[in-house]
Amino acid sequence: MESSVTRFLKIVLVVAALAGALWILSAIRSTIILLVIAALLAYILDPFASYLEFRGLSRTTATIVIFLLVGIVIFTVFYFLIPALSREITGLQKGLDGQSTSRLLNDVETYIKKAIPLLQDQDINLQGELQNIIKNIGETLFSLLVNLVPLISSVVIIPFAVFFLLKDGRDMKKQLVSMVPNRYFEMTLTLLHKIDEQLGSYLRGQFIDSTIIGLLAVTALWILDVPYYVLIGIFAGLANMIPYVGPFSGAIVAILTVLLNHGSGQDVLYVGLAFLFIQLIDNVVVQPMVLARSVNLHPLTIIFAIIIGGQFFGIIGMLVAVPTTGILKVLARESYTNARRFNLI
Amino acid sequence: MSDEALWSNIFKNKDVKRENIFSVLKRVPVFQDLGYKEFKSIERILHRRLYKAGEVIFRENEPGVGMYIIEQGKVNITVGRDNKLLVLLSNGDFFGEMALILSGKRTASAIAQTETTLLGFFQPDLFNLLETNPKMGNKIMFRLSQMIAERLRLGTLENRQLKARLNTLQAELEKYKGENSNGK
Repeated sequence: MESSVTRFLKIVLVVAALAGALWILSAIRSTIILLVIAALLAYILDPFASYLEFRGLSRTTATIVIFLLVGIVIFTVFYFLIPALSREITGLQKGLDGQSTSRLLNDVETYIKKAIPLLQDQDINLQGELQNIIKNIGETLFSLLVNLVPLISSVVIIPFAVFFLLKDGRDMKKQLVSMVPNRYFEMTLTLLHKIDEQLGSYLRGQFIDSTIIGLLAVTALWILDVPYYVLIGIFAGLANMIPYVGPFSGAIVAILTVLLNHGSGQDVLYVGLAFLFIQLIDNVVVQPMVLARSVNLHPLTIIFAIIIGGQFFGIIGMLVAVPTTGILKVLARESYTNARRFNLI
Repeated sequence: MSDEALWSNIFKNKDVKRENIFSVLKRVPVFQDLGYKEFKSIERILHRRLYKAGEVIFRENEPGVGMYIIEQGKVNITVGRDNKLLVLLSNGDFFGEMALILSGKRTASAIAQTETTLLGFFQPDLFNLLETNPKMGNKIMFRLSQMIAERLRLGTLENRQLKARLNTLQAELEKYKGENSNGK
Protein backbone atom coordinates (compact mmCIF):
# COMPACT_ATOMS: atom_id res chain seq x y z
CA MET A 1 0.00 0.00 0.00
CA GLU A 2 2.64 2.41 1.12
CA SER A 3 4.75 1.80 -1.95
CA SER A 4 1.84 2.58 -4.25
CA VAL A 5 1.20 5.75 -2.29
CA THR A 6 4.84 6.83 -2.63
CA ARG A 7 4.70 5.96 -6.30
CA PHE A 8 1.59 8.04 -6.72
CA LEU A 9 3.29 10.89 -4.89
CA LYS A 10 6.32 10.56 -7.11
CA ILE A 11 4.19 10.71 -10.25
CA VAL A 12 2.37 13.75 -8.92
CA LEU A 13 5.66 15.42 -8.13
CA VAL A 14 7.09 14.67 -11.58
CA VAL A 15 3.96 15.96 -13.31
CA ALA A 16 4.00 19.06 -11.13
CA ALA A 17 7.67 19.64 -11.89
CA LEU A 18 7.02 19.22 -15.63
CA ALA A 19 4.06 21.58 -15.49
CA GLY A 20 6.17 24.07 -13.56
CA ALA A 21 8.98 23.83 -16.08
CA LEU A 22 6.52 24.31 -18.95
CA TRP A 23 4.96 27.28 -17.19
CA ILE A 24 8.37 28.88 -16.64
CA LEU A 25 9.34 28.16 -20.25
CA SER A 26 6.18 29.77 -21.60
CA ALA A 27 6.57 32.70 -19.22
CA ILE A 28 10.09 33.40 -20.44
CA ARG A 29 9.45 32.49 -24.05
CA SER A 30 10.44 35.90 -25.33
CA THR A 31 13.83 35.45 -23.68
CA ILE A 32 14.11 31.94 -25.06
CA ILE A 33 13.50 33.17 -28.57
CA LEU A 34 16.25 35.76 -28.08
CA LEU A 35 18.59 32.99 -27.01
CA VAL A 36 17.56 30.78 -29.94
CA ILE A 37 18.21 33.59 -32.41
CA ALA A 38 21.56 34.37 -30.77
CA ALA A 39 22.54 30.68 -30.81
CA LEU A 40 21.57 30.35 -34.48
CA LEU A 41 23.60 33.41 -35.41
CA ALA A 42 26.62 32.29 -33.37
CA TYR A 43 26.34 28.88 -34.99
CA ILE A 44 26.26 30.35 -38.49
CA LEU A 45 29.25 32.57 -37.71
CA ASP A 46 31.29 29.81 -36.05
CA PRO A 47 33.19 28.63 -39.16
CA PHE A 48 34.34 32.19 -39.84
CA ALA A 49 35.75 32.38 -36.32
CA SER A 50 37.43 29.01 -36.85
CA TYR A 51 38.88 30.24 -40.14
CA LEU A 52 40.33 33.34 -38.46
CA GLU A 53 41.76 31.10 -35.75
CA PHE A 54 43.37 29.05 -38.50
CA ARG A 55 44.91 32.29 -39.81
CA GLY A 56 46.57 32.69 -36.43
CA LEU A 57 44.19 34.89 -34.41
CA SER A 58 43.07 33.97 -30.93
CA ARG A 59 39.41 33.05 -30.52
CA THR A 60 38.66 36.34 -28.76
CA THR A 61 40.34 38.44 -31.45
CA ALA A 62 38.61 36.39 -34.14
CA THR A 63 35.25 37.07 -32.48
CA ILE A 64 35.96 40.80 -32.24
CA VAL A 65 37.02 40.96 -35.91
CA ILE A 66 33.83 39.17 -36.98
CA PHE A 67 31.75 41.54 -34.88
CA LEU A 68 33.38 44.57 -36.44
CA LEU A 69 32.86 43.21 -39.97
CA VAL A 70 29.25 42.19 -39.37
CA GLY A 71 28.63 45.53 -37.68
CA ILE A 72 29.91 47.42 -40.69
CA VAL A 73 27.80 45.33 -43.07
CA ILE A 74 24.63 45.74 -40.99
CA PHE A 75 25.21 49.45 -40.57
CA THR A 76 25.73 49.94 -44.32
CA VAL A 77 22.70 47.87 -45.25
CA PHE A 78 20.45 49.63 -42.78
CA TYR A 79 21.83 53.04 -43.62
CA PHE A 80 20.66 52.58 -47.18
CA LEU A 81 17.65 50.36 -46.66
CA ILE A 82 15.91 51.74 -43.57
CA PRO A 83 14.73 55.00 -45.20
CA ALA A 84 13.50 53.06 -48.24
CA LEU A 85 11.91 50.42 -46.01
CA SER A 86 10.02 52.86 -43.80
CA ARG A 87 8.89 54.80 -46.87
CA GLU A 88 7.65 51.54 -48.35
CA ILE A 89 5.68 50.50 -45.29
CA THR A 90 3.96 53.84 -44.88
CA GLY A 91 3.45 53.91 -48.65
CA LEU A 92 1.96 50.45 -48.55
CA GLN A 93 -0.55 51.44 -45.91
CA LYS A 94 -1.56 54.58 -47.76
CA GLY A 95 -1.19 53.13 -51.24
CA LEU A 96 -4.57 51.50 -51.31
CA ASP A 97 -6.38 54.77 -50.72
CA GLY A 98 -5.14 55.97 -54.08
CA GLN A 99 -7.72 56.47 -56.81
CA SER A 100 -6.00 54.30 -59.33
CA THR A 101 -6.04 51.32 -57.00
CA SER A 102 -9.69 51.69 -56.13
CA ARG A 103 -10.52 51.84 -59.81
CA LEU A 104 -8.64 48.62 -60.41
CA LEU A 105 -10.30 46.93 -57.47
CA ASN A 106 -13.71 48.04 -58.67
CA ASP A 107 -12.96 46.50 -62.03
CA VAL A 108 -11.98 43.25 -60.37
CA GLU A 109 -15.13 43.34 -58.24
CA THR A 110 -17.40 43.79 -61.25
CA TYR A 111 -15.57 41.01 -63.04
CA ILE A 112 -16.04 38.62 -60.13
CA LYS A 113 -19.73 39.51 -59.83
CA LYS A 114 -20.21 38.86 -63.54
CA ALA A 115 -18.31 35.59 -63.46
CA ILE A 116 -19.98 34.20 -60.35
CA PRO A 117 -23.69 35.04 -60.46
CA LEU A 118 -24.21 33.74 -56.92
CA LEU A 119 -22.24 36.65 -55.55
CA GLN A 120 -24.27 39.21 -57.50
CA ASP A 121 -26.13 40.67 -54.54
CA GLN A 122 -23.36 40.33 -52.06
CA ASP A 123 -21.21 43.23 -51.12
CA ILE A 124 -17.73 41.98 -51.77
CA ASN A 125 -15.87 45.17 -50.89
CA LEU A 126 -12.50 43.89 -52.06
CA GLN A 127 -10.87 47.19 -51.43
CA GLY A 128 -11.89 47.35 -47.79
CA GLU A 129 -10.76 43.77 -47.18
CA LEU A 130 -7.43 44.29 -48.86
CA GLN A 131 -6.90 47.54 -47.02
CA ASN A 132 -7.60 45.82 -43.74
CA ILE A 133 -5.22 42.99 -44.56
CA ILE A 134 -2.40 45.28 -45.54
CA LYS A 135 -2.96 47.57 -42.60
CA ASN A 136 -2.86 44.51 -40.37
CA ILE A 137 0.31 43.21 -41.99
CA GLY A 138 2.02 46.51 -41.41
CA GLU A 139 0.79 46.68 -37.86
CA THR A 140 1.50 43.08 -36.88
CA LEU A 141 4.91 43.20 -38.47
CA PHE A 142 5.91 46.09 -36.31
CA SER A 143 3.89 45.36 -33.22
CA LEU A 144 5.24 41.84 -33.09
CA LEU A 145 8.79 42.92 -33.59
CA VAL A 146 8.43 45.69 -31.07
CA ASN A 147 6.03 44.31 -28.47
CA LEU A 148 6.92 40.66 -28.15
CA VAL A 149 10.48 41.46 -27.31
CA PRO A 150 11.19 45.07 -26.62
CA LEU A 151 13.25 46.15 -29.57
CA ILE A 152 15.95 47.89 -27.60
CA SER A 153 16.64 44.93 -25.37
CA SER A 154 16.93 42.57 -28.34
CA VAL A 155 19.21 44.97 -30.16
CA VAL A 156 21.47 44.94 -27.12
CA ILE A 157 21.03 41.38 -25.86
CA ILE A 158 21.29 39.45 -29.13
CA PRO A 159 24.73 40.79 -30.12
CA PHE A 160 25.88 40.42 -26.52
CA ALA A 161 24.79 36.77 -26.40
CA VAL A 162 26.15 36.06 -29.90
CA PHE A 163 29.53 37.48 -28.87
CA PHE A 164 29.91 35.21 -25.86
CA LEU A 165 28.42 32.16 -27.56
CA LEU A 166 30.87 32.62 -30.41
CA LYS A 167 33.85 33.22 -28.12
CA ASP A 168 33.16 30.63 -25.42
CA GLY A 169 30.76 28.26 -27.18
CA ARG A 170 33.30 25.47 -27.43
CA ASP A 171 34.18 25.63 -23.73
CA MET A 172 30.48 25.79 -22.83
CA LYS A 173 29.88 22.67 -24.92
CA LYS A 174 32.77 20.90 -23.19
CA GLN A 175 31.39 21.85 -19.79
CA LEU A 176 27.96 20.49 -20.72
CA VAL A 177 29.43 17.27 -22.10
CA SER A 178 31.47 16.80 -18.92
CA MET A 179 28.22 16.48 -16.97
CA VAL A 180 27.06 13.48 -19.03
CA PRO A 181 27.47 10.14 -17.17
CA ASN A 182 30.35 7.92 -18.36
CA ARG A 183 28.01 5.35 -19.89
CA TYR A 184 26.52 7.85 -22.34
CA PHE A 185 29.55 10.06 -22.75
CA GLU A 186 30.99 8.76 -26.02
CA MET A 187 27.52 8.45 -27.49
CA THR A 188 26.75 12.05 -26.60
CA LEU A 189 29.99 13.19 -28.16
CA THR A 190 29.29 11.29 -31.38
CA LEU A 191 25.73 12.56 -31.38
CA LEU A 192 26.80 16.19 -31.00
CA HIS A 193 29.37 15.79 -33.76
CA LYS A 194 26.89 14.20 -36.16
CA ILE A 195 24.27 16.85 -35.42
CA ASP A 196 26.86 19.56 -35.86
CA GLU A 197 28.00 18.11 -39.20
CA GLN A 198 24.50 18.01 -40.63
CA LEU A 199 22.98 21.08 -39.05
CA GLY A 200 25.99 23.27 -39.64
CA SER A 201 25.86 22.88 -43.39
CA TYR A 202 22.05 22.98 -43.38
CA LEU A 203 21.68 26.19 -41.38
CA ARG A 204 24.55 27.97 -43.08
CA GLY A 205 23.21 26.80 -46.43
CA GLN A 206 19.72 28.12 -45.68
CA PHE A 207 21.11 31.40 -44.44
CA ILE A 208 23.39 31.95 -47.43
CA ASP A 209 20.73 30.80 -49.91
CA SER A 210 18.10 33.12 -48.45
CA THR A 211 20.52 36.05 -48.39
CA ILE A 212 21.58 35.56 -52.01
CA ILE A 213 18.01 35.14 -53.26
CA GLY A 214 16.87 38.16 -51.23
CA LEU A 215 19.66 40.32 -52.61
CA LEU A 216 19.03 39.15 -56.18
CA ALA A 217 15.31 39.83 -55.81
CA VAL A 218 15.86 43.30 -54.34
CA THR A 219 18.28 44.16 -57.16
CA ALA A 220 16.04 42.80 -59.91
CA LEU A 221 12.94 44.57 -58.59
CA TRP A 222 14.90 47.79 -58.12
CA ILE A 223 16.09 47.64 -61.75
CA LEU A 224 12.54 46.94 -62.93
CA ASP A 225 11.34 49.88 -60.84
CA VAL A 226 8.81 47.85 -58.87
CA PRO A 227 7.52 49.69 -55.80
CA TYR A 228 8.27 48.21 -52.35
CA TYR A 229 11.24 46.39 -53.86
CA VAL A 230 13.02 46.08 -50.50
CA LEU A 231 10.04 44.52 -48.70
CA ILE A 232 9.23 42.14 -51.55
CA GLY A 233 12.90 41.19 -51.92
CA ILE A 234 13.26 40.39 -48.21
CA PHE A 235 10.02 38.41 -48.34
CA ALA A 236 11.20 36.46 -51.41
CA GLY A 237 14.50 35.62 -49.69
CA LEU A 238 12.77 34.34 -46.56
CA ALA A 239 10.00 32.55 -48.42
CA ASN A 240 12.62 30.73 -50.46
CA MET A 241 13.23 28.49 -47.42
CA ILE A 242 9.84 26.89 -48.06
CA PRO A 243 10.12 24.39 -50.90
CA TYR A 244 7.73 24.60 -53.90
CA VAL A 245 5.47 27.28 -52.42
CA GLY A 246 8.19 29.71 -51.39
CA PRO A 247 9.70 30.69 -54.72
CA PHE A 248 6.22 31.22 -56.23
CA SER A 249 4.94 33.35 -53.39
CA GLY A 250 7.74 35.89 -53.85
CA ALA A 251 6.93 36.17 -57.56
CA ILE A 252 3.18 36.37 -56.95
CA VAL A 253 3.53 39.20 -54.43
CA ALA A 254 5.75 41.11 -56.86
CA ILE A 255 3.35 40.61 -59.79
CA LEU A 256 0.34 41.63 -57.68
CA THR A 257 2.18 44.78 -56.65
CA VAL A 258 2.90 45.61 -60.27
CA LEU A 259 -0.76 45.01 -61.17
CA LEU A 260 -2.02 47.12 -58.28
CA ASN A 261 0.21 49.92 -59.46
CA HIS A 262 -1.16 49.69 -62.97
CA GLY A 263 1.82 48.04 -64.51
CA SER A 264 1.46 46.92 -68.10
CA GLY A 265 1.45 43.31 -69.22
CA GLN A 266 5.03 43.87 -70.25
CA ASP A 267 5.99 44.87 -66.70
CA VAL A 268 4.37 41.74 -65.33
CA LEU A 269 6.24 39.68 -67.90
CA TYR A 270 9.55 41.24 -66.93
CA VAL A 271 8.94 40.66 -63.22
CA GLY A 272 7.93 37.07 -63.93
CA LEU A 273 11.02 36.53 -66.05
CA ALA A 274 13.22 38.09 -63.38
CA PHE A 275 11.90 35.66 -60.77
CA LEU A 276 12.24 32.76 -63.19
CA PHE A 277 15.84 33.78 -63.77
CA ILE A 278 16.50 34.08 -60.02
CA GLN A 279 15.03 30.61 -59.50
CA LEU A 280 17.23 29.29 -62.27
CA ILE A 281 20.34 30.77 -60.63
CA ASP A 282 19.17 29.40 -57.29
CA ASN A 283 18.59 25.89 -58.60
CA VAL A 284 21.61 25.62 -60.85
CA VAL A 285 24.26 27.63 -59.01
CA VAL A 286 23.41 28.54 -55.41
CA GLN A 287 21.60 25.48 -54.06
CA PRO A 288 24.01 22.81 -55.30
CA MET A 289 26.81 24.82 -53.72
CA VAL A 290 25.37 25.72 -50.34
CA LEU A 291 22.41 23.53 -49.47
CA ALA A 292 22.86 20.27 -47.65
CA ARG A 293 20.35 17.69 -48.73
CA SER A 294 20.80 15.83 -45.47
CA VAL A 295 17.89 17.64 -43.83
CA ASN A 296 15.06 17.11 -46.24
CA LEU A 297 11.92 18.50 -44.67
CA HIS A 298 8.60 17.66 -46.24
CA PRO A 299 6.81 20.79 -47.51
CA LEU A 300 3.78 19.89 -45.39
CA THR A 301 5.99 19.68 -42.28
CA ILE A 302 7.43 23.09 -43.10
CA ILE A 303 4.02 24.72 -43.60
CA PHE A 304 2.73 23.38 -40.28
CA ALA A 305 5.96 24.34 -38.55
CA ILE A 306 5.55 27.89 -39.82
CA ILE A 307 1.93 28.05 -38.67
CA ILE A 308 2.86 26.73 -35.20
CA GLY A 309 5.86 29.06 -34.99
CA GLY A 310 3.57 31.95 -35.85
CA GLN A 311 1.02 30.93 -33.22
CA PHE A 312 3.57 30.86 -30.44
CA PHE A 313 6.10 33.51 -31.33
CA GLY A 314 4.56 35.65 -34.06
CA ILE A 315 6.59 36.77 -37.06
CA ILE A 316 9.92 35.91 -35.42
CA GLY A 317 8.59 32.45 -34.67
CA MET A 318 7.65 32.00 -38.32
CA LEU A 319 11.15 33.00 -39.37
CA VAL A 320 12.91 30.54 -37.08
CA ALA A 321 10.34 27.77 -37.64
CA VAL A 322 12.10 26.16 -40.62
CA PRO A 323 15.60 25.96 -39.12
CA THR A 324 14.16 24.90 -35.75
CA THR A 325 12.24 22.06 -37.41
CA GLY A 326 15.46 21.05 -39.17
CA ILE A 327 17.26 20.99 -35.82
CA LEU A 328 14.52 18.87 -34.24
CA LYS A 329 14.52 16.43 -37.14
CA VAL A 330 18.29 15.89 -37.07
CA LEU A 331 18.20 15.67 -33.27
CA ALA A 332 15.52 12.99 -33.28
CA ARG A 333 17.02 10.99 -36.14
CA GLU A 334 20.58 11.00 -34.80
CA SER A 335 19.52 10.27 -31.22
CA TYR A 336 17.61 7.25 -32.45
CA THR A 337 20.38 5.83 -34.69
CA ASN A 338 23.04 6.45 -32.04
CA ALA A 339 21.03 4.89 -29.27
CA ARG A 340 20.65 1.83 -31.50
CA ARG A 341 24.35 1.71 -32.37
CA PHE A 342 25.23 1.86 -28.69
CA ASN A 343 22.65 -0.85 -27.93
CA LEU A 344 20.63 1.40 -25.65
CA ILE A 345 17.35 0.56 -27.37
CA MET B 1 49.57 -12.94 -29.64
CA SER B 2 48.33 -10.53 -32.29
CA ASP B 3 46.18 -8.86 -29.65
CA GLU B 4 49.38 -7.97 -27.87
CA ALA B 5 50.57 -5.87 -30.79
CA LEU B 6 47.20 -4.15 -30.94
CA TRP B 7 46.59 -3.39 -27.34
CA SER B 8 49.74 -3.39 -25.27
CA ASN B 9 51.59 -0.11 -24.93
CA ILE B 10 54.67 -0.88 -26.99
CA PHE B 11 55.77 2.74 -26.68
CA LYS B 12 55.84 2.79 -22.91
CA ASN B 13 58.49 4.50 -20.89
CA LYS B 14 58.71 2.47 -17.71
CA ASP B 15 59.44 4.96 -14.90
CA VAL B 16 55.97 6.22 -14.07
CA LYS B 17 54.87 8.11 -10.97
CA ARG B 18 52.04 10.53 -10.16
CA GLU B 19 52.63 13.70 -12.18
CA ASN B 20 50.96 16.68 -13.73
CA ILE B 21 49.01 16.59 -16.97
CA PHE B 22 51.83 18.02 -19.08
CA SER B 23 54.34 15.36 -18.23
CA VAL B 24 51.63 12.73 -18.80
CA LEU B 25 50.87 14.18 -22.21
CA LYS B 26 54.50 14.60 -23.10
CA ARG B 27 55.04 10.85 -22.85
CA VAL B 28 52.11 10.04 -25.14
CA PRO B 29 53.71 9.51 -28.56
CA VAL B 30 50.78 11.17 -30.35
CA PHE B 31 51.68 14.48 -28.70
CA GLN B 32 55.44 14.05 -28.80
CA ASP B 33 56.15 16.80 -31.31
CA LEU B 34 54.10 19.48 -29.59
CA GLY B 35 55.53 22.55 -27.90
CA TYR B 36 54.45 24.01 -24.55
CA LYS B 37 51.88 26.37 -26.06
CA GLU B 38 50.41 23.54 -28.08
CA PHE B 39 50.11 21.40 -24.96
CA LYS B 40 48.08 24.21 -23.46
CA SER B 41 45.61 24.07 -26.34
CA ILE B 42 45.53 20.26 -26.28
CA GLU B 43 44.64 20.42 -22.59
CA ARG B 44 41.64 22.58 -23.48
CA ILE B 45 40.45 19.97 -25.97
CA LEU B 46 40.88 16.88 -23.78
CA HIS B 47 37.98 15.60 -21.70
CA ARG B 48 38.88 14.59 -18.15
CA ARG B 49 36.69 11.69 -16.98
CA LEU B 50 36.57 9.95 -13.62
CA TYR B 51 35.80 6.22 -13.36
CA LYS B 52 35.07 4.11 -10.31
CA ALA B 53 36.81 0.77 -9.79
CA GLY B 54 35.09 -1.81 -12.00
CA GLU B 55 33.35 0.77 -14.17
CA VAL B 56 33.24 0.05 -17.91
CA ILE B 57 35.02 2.68 -20.03
CA PHE B 58 33.90 1.16 -23.31
CA ARG B 59 32.62 -2.20 -24.45
CA GLU B 60 33.84 -4.45 -27.22
CA ASN B 61 31.80 -4.03 -30.45
CA GLU B 62 30.45 -0.64 -29.42
CA PRO B 63 31.29 2.18 -31.81
CA GLY B 64 34.32 4.13 -30.63
CA VAL B 65 35.31 7.69 -31.45
CA GLY B 66 38.58 8.25 -29.68
CA MET B 67 41.48 7.40 -27.43
CA TYR B 68 41.99 7.62 -23.69
CA ILE B 69 45.14 8.48 -21.78
CA ILE B 70 45.44 7.24 -18.20
CA GLU B 71 46.28 10.21 -16.02
CA GLN B 72 45.95 8.23 -12.82
CA GLY B 73 44.82 4.67 -12.16
CA LYS B 74 44.75 1.23 -13.78
CA VAL B 75 42.71 -0.08 -16.71
CA ASN B 76 42.06 -3.66 -17.79
CA ILE B 77 41.78 -4.32 -21.49
CA THR B 78 39.71 -7.45 -22.02
CA VAL B 79 38.05 -9.43 -24.80
CA GLY B 80 35.14 -11.81 -25.07
CA ARG B 81 32.16 -12.45 -22.85
CA ASP B 82 34.31 -13.87 -20.08
CA ASN B 83 36.40 -10.67 -20.10
CA LYS B 84 39.70 -12.41 -20.84
CA LEU B 85 42.47 -10.05 -19.75
CA LEU B 86 44.73 -8.90 -22.59
CA VAL B 87 46.76 -6.29 -20.80
CA LEU B 88 46.76 -4.11 -17.70
CA LEU B 89 47.52 -0.45 -18.40
CA SER B 90 48.53 2.20 -15.86
CA ASN B 91 49.53 5.87 -15.49
CA GLY B 92 50.71 7.46 -18.73
CA ASP B 93 49.45 4.58 -20.89
CA PHE B 94 46.89 5.16 -23.57
CA PHE B 95 44.43 3.02 -25.48
CA GLY B 96 41.83 3.18 -28.25
CA GLU B 97 43.90 5.40 -30.55
CA MET B 98 42.78 3.41 -33.61
CA ALA B 99 39.29 4.84 -33.14
CA LEU B 100 40.71 8.31 -33.76
CA ILE B 101 41.21 7.38 -37.39
CA LEU B 102 38.90 4.48 -38.01
CA SER B 103 35.55 5.11 -36.36
CA GLY B 104 34.57 1.46 -36.28
CA LYS B 105 33.66 -0.87 -33.49
CA ARG B 106 35.95 -1.29 -30.48
CA THR B 107 37.95 -4.52 -30.71
CA ALA B 108 38.21 -4.95 -26.92
CA SER B 109 36.59 -3.70 -23.73
CA ALA B 110 38.24 -1.31 -21.29
CA ILE B 111 37.37 -1.56 -17.61
CA ALA B 112 38.78 0.57 -14.80
CA GLN B 113 40.52 -1.68 -12.28
CA THR B 114 40.97 1.01 -9.65
CA GLU B 115 39.56 4.49 -9.35
CA THR B 116 40.86 6.05 -12.54
CA THR B 117 41.19 9.45 -14.14
CA LEU B 118 41.30 9.39 -17.92
CA LEU B 119 41.94 12.08 -20.49
CA GLY B 120 39.81 11.51 -23.59
CA PHE B 121 40.89 12.72 -27.02
CA PHE B 122 38.20 12.26 -29.65
CA GLN B 123 37.80 12.25 -33.41
CA PRO B 124 35.53 15.32 -33.63
CA ASP B 125 38.10 17.32 -31.66
CA LEU B 126 40.91 16.05 -33.90
CA PHE B 127 38.91 17.10 -37.00
CA ASN B 128 38.26 20.46 -35.45
CA LEU B 129 41.95 20.84 -34.68
CA LEU B 130 42.90 19.96 -38.26
CA GLU B 131 40.59 22.74 -39.38
CA THR B 132 41.57 25.47 -36.95
CA ASN B 133 45.23 24.62 -36.39
CA PRO B 134 46.42 22.35 -39.22
CA LYS B 135 50.07 22.60 -38.25
CA MET B 136 49.40 21.14 -34.84
CA GLY B 137 46.79 18.74 -36.22
CA ASN B 138 49.29 17.41 -38.73
CA LYS B 139 51.94 16.84 -36.07
CA ILE B 140 49.42 14.68 -34.22
CA MET B 141 48.21 12.93 -37.38
CA PHE B 142 51.77 12.10 -38.40
CA ARG B 143 52.60 10.57 -35.01
CA LEU B 144 49.32 8.71 -35.07
CA SER B 145 50.06 7.18 -38.47
CA GLN B 146 53.55 6.28 -37.29
CA MET B 147 52.12 4.48 -34.29
CA ILE B 148 49.61 2.63 -36.35
CA ALA B 149 52.27 1.71 -38.93
CA GLU B 150 54.45 0.41 -36.10
CA ARG B 151 51.59 -1.67 -34.73
CA LEU B 152 50.96 -2.95 -38.24
CA ARG B 153 54.62 -3.88 -38.63
CA LEU B 154 54.60 -5.75 -35.31
CA GLY B 155 51.32 -7.40 -36.24
CA THR B 156 52.75 -8.53 -39.55
CA LEU B 157 55.85 -9.95 -37.84
CA GLU B 158 53.71 -11.83 -35.34
CA ASN B 159 51.49 -13.00 -38.14
CA ARG B 160 54.49 -14.31 -40.07
CA GLN B 161 55.82 -16.14 -37.00
CA LEU B 162 52.42 -17.64 -36.35
CA LYS B 163 52.11 -18.78 -39.95
CA ALA B 164 55.55 -20.40 -39.79
CA ARG B 165 54.56 -22.10 -36.55
CA LEU B 166 51.29 -23.23 -38.09
CA ASN B 167 53.11 -24.65 -41.08
CA THR B 168 55.48 -26.60 -38.83
CA LEU B 169 52.55 -27.92 -36.81
CA GLN B 170 50.69 -28.89 -39.98
CA ALA B 171 53.76 -30.67 -41.33
CA GLU B 172 54.12 -32.50 -38.01
CA LEU B 173 50.45 -33.46 -38.13
CA GLU B 174 50.79 -34.83 -41.67
CA LYS B 175 53.83 -36.75 -40.61
CA TYR B 176 52.01 -38.10 -37.57
CA LYS B 177 49.00 -39.10 -39.69
CA GLY B 178 51.27 -40.80 -42.23
CA GLU B 179 53.03 -42.71 -39.52
CA ASN B 180 49.72 -43.77 -37.99
CA SER B 181 48.24 -45.05 -41.26
CA ASN B 182 51.48 -46.89 -42.03
CA GLY B 183 51.34 -48.42 -38.58
CA LYS B 184 47.86 -49.80 -39.30
